Amino acid sequence: MALKIIDTIKKRLEERPNELIKARKEGQKVVGWQGYNIPEEIIYALGLIPIRLGVGGDDRLVEIGARYISTKNCVFCRETVGLFAENKDPYIQNTDFLAFDATCLQTYRTAEILQYYFKKEIVILGVPRNFYWPEAKTYFTKEVEYFTQRLEEHAGVKLDSNKLAETIELYNLTRKAIIKIYDYQATKERLISWEETYDILQAGYFLDRKEYLGLLEEVLEELEEKQGRPVIEVDEDEARIFISGSVIPPGDKKLIDIIKEVGGRVVGDDLWSGLIPYLNVEIEDYTPAGIALAYINRTPHGALPYLDLETDRRIIRMKELIKSFKAQGVIYHTLRYCDPYTFKAKETKDVLQQDGIPLLEIHTEYAVSDFEAIRTRVEAFVEMIKNKQ
Amino acid sequence: MSNSDNLFKYPEAIRDDFIRTEDIVFRDGSRVTAGEVWQYLTEVGPVKYPNIYDTSNYYGGKISGDVKLPFSLKHNYLLLTMDDRMTKAKANGVPVVFVQGGQSVDPYYAAGGIALRPASTGIWARQKEEGLDLNQEQVRSADVKEKAYRAISFEACNTAGYEHIQEGSLPVDMIAPFSCLRCSDVSYGLEAHRHGKRKDVKLFLVDYPMDHQKDKEWAVRYFAENIRRLIQEINELTGKETSAEDLRKEIKLHNEGRKLAVEIADLWWSAEVPPTNGKDRRDLFQLGGMEVHGDPEATLSLLKEAKIYIEERVKNGIGGYGVQGNPARIFVCGSCVFPNEYRTEEAGGIIVGNDNHWSDITTMVEEEGDPFYNLSKAILSYPYEQAIKERAKWTVEQIKKSRADGVLFLYCWGCNTQSAVARALVDEIKLQTGLPTLIIEHEGRGSEQLQNRVNAFVEMLG
Repeated sequence: MALKIIDTIKKRLEERPNELIKARKEGQKVVGWQGYNIPEEIIYALGLIPIRLGVGGDDRLVEIGARYISTKNCVFCRETVGLFAENKDPYIQNTDFLAFDATCLQTYRTAEILQYYFKKEIVILGVPRNFYWPEAKTYFTKEVEYFTQRLEEHAGVKLDSNKLAETIELYNLTRKAIIKIYDYQATKERLISWEETYDILQAGYFLDRKEYLGLLEEVLEELEEKQGRPVIEVDEDEARIFISGSVIPPGDKKLIDIIKEVGGRVVGDDLWSGLIPYLNVEIEDYTPAGIALAYINRTPHGALPYLDLETDRRIIRMKELIKSFKAQGVIYHTLRYCDPYTFKAKETKDVLQQDGIPLLEIHTEYAVSDFEAIRTRVEAFVEMIKNKQ
Repeated sequence: MSNSDNLFKYPEAIRDDFIRTEDIVFRDGSRVTAGEVWQYLTEVGPVKYPNIYDTSNYYGGKISGDVKLPFSLKHNYLLLTMDDRMTKAKANGVPVVFVQGGQSVDPYYAAGGIALRPASTGIWARQKEEGLDLNQEQVRSADVKEKAYRAISFEACNTAGYEHIQEGSLPVDMIAPFSCLRCSDVSYGLEAHRHGKRKDVKLFLVDYPMDHQKDKEWAVRYFAENIRRLIQEINELTGKETSAEDLRKEIKLHNEGRKLAVEIADLWWSAEVPPTNGKDRRDLFQLGGMEVHGDPEATLSLLKEAKIYIEERVKNGIGGYGVQGNPARIFVCGSCVFPNEYRTEEAGGIIVGNDNHWSDITTMVEEEGDPFYNLSKAILSYPYEQAIKERAKWTVEQIKKSRADGVLFLYCWGCNTQSAVARALVDEIKLQTGLPTLIIEHEGRGSEQLQNRVNAFVEMLG
């Protein structure tokens, strides 16, 4: 039984491109961004409209993008370039300038290609790889302050501390709401699925953030009214799957649809395009520096190498989430040439095996040629989990 | 396949001239005479490592045959003795650190370590097994690499020596590469060591900031801190303290090498007839990185001697061995792969320059002032690591100096960060120079497909 509010969110998403056209006519600027460490709060507080760019699942756009970037780059990067090359997507058409970060080196390269071939103005945010060092935090703080200055130049205004504080409160509430909805999707009642939750989460990157918070609160009201407090329990005959690994952007439905089709139930994720950026964002000081520290102290992105397996916060967080969502197996999704996650697949499998959690790696692209091969493997994995109960 | 009939033999006729050339002087103060080098190359080497002496043109690493260039013989000697020298250094308590290629190694040596890039580590590992012919050695190397692919990913190009250090027994003490855009795999290869068997190997990432890094004061200071910490980590292995003066002294030594390499390149490029073949040119230019032999002092002694011979050849119009008349001159851009120079020369071409393993060499380090800051500023200024237009501007300068007729961009299968800008960089170069360009992707090992494309390009350049 779908929640009524989900239809409203879908409708608002359909209306959003025209709203952006109108806003731009009225003088507002739209910032298309991509990355893991872009402090969206600063963009929003400056009166700019943040839109996270990038979709997946379209092999045709991948092919177009590969004419500019290489076939040895992940399909997400290639499709991003393809979007700009084709220039038909309304969000691409309606960005005034771009903001990319250097968390993933391929994202950084994507920005270079967009600058070179499509003459895009791009503000780039440097990200330290030794992110846990105090000196790295100082470096990142300086980067965020410089990033802010460059945004101010584009916006034509100075960052107002009151507006920033309001925005941080808004984003904090948004993060809390998303975490709560994630709890609901993992319950027995299944009033909302992980797939719907994920779509709602993605909607936030396109809709106005104030309106979006209101919609999230309505989702929660409807859930609380129908179900009360969420209690996560395992249902009989379930195969509860946790998704990890490479980005799954809007439009990339292949793996998720297969899991559903063969009787698996996704109950959680630690994707950088999913839940993980919303966790543990503790902004103590309401300044760009305070935001920088909070962002760099979050669960790190897999593209930032960490050299001690035992204390890797990304792995610790993944284990905690698997436990709290009561997942029974992990499908580790890796895109071809996504080295940050692909290189860790076997290691992650070995780590989870120690806790008795099975892991299946699905290494894929956006082409449909491997659909049946993936289905066979996922089906067997789901069956194995069900048989273990 | 090697057999005694197709092994390279240094001609006795050159012996007397060669043994009168300079000694090689090592970092630890020891030296080896040219006579001892000759004896090793002609008696010991062919027995221990017959694969190196294979004369097939299909083997890109074969000995160049330009036997009248003493540096070339001494370079081979230093490569052939890698295992002996590293074993000796280890016995003397000198730690060996795995780094990535194309980066300067001044701080590693300042701290009392030896920095070995992947190719040098590979050479050392291969020498752990003696008596193999070329076929046996190549099968063995492929098998060993497969172990790293299984432990990391088949999409890995650079595996940060995982196969030798974790799956093999190479006694490397530390893995500490720069994380620059030259190779993205090396950072994740480094990270993979955390799940390897050997827990005694230190892991350290020298974090290279991105985007206009050389112009940002905070980025320069952050990278300087990385250098400081790197040195501290090596100090923990040696039990010694490294001072700023030690680093300054090391920078001066490496600057001398870099400067000599640039002077040699200018000489080489100025010559009407290429004074060496492509293989010797590449070996010679790369010596300026001071890292290929695992002994900067030894490398420096080769550079000094080589310059005299190159000057002489240029002055007298003497061409390199195997170089055809009026060859098509090719400049190679891209990542850490290279075509077979011998077969390129057979086809009527010659490779006259490359950007990889050159951008770091052309970047001098300021010697006055804070050495950590100066080194950081220089490293962050590598032209190869700049944005497309800035990198292209420098590359075009090198192409013009080298008087190249065409430009190849090569990258290894799985190389994300170099492949990403291949098209844009060659488009910009084409725009600036009007030269023909070709992008080729291939796997690390030489292949017929790669060479077919290179040869067709040479033919087109005519």
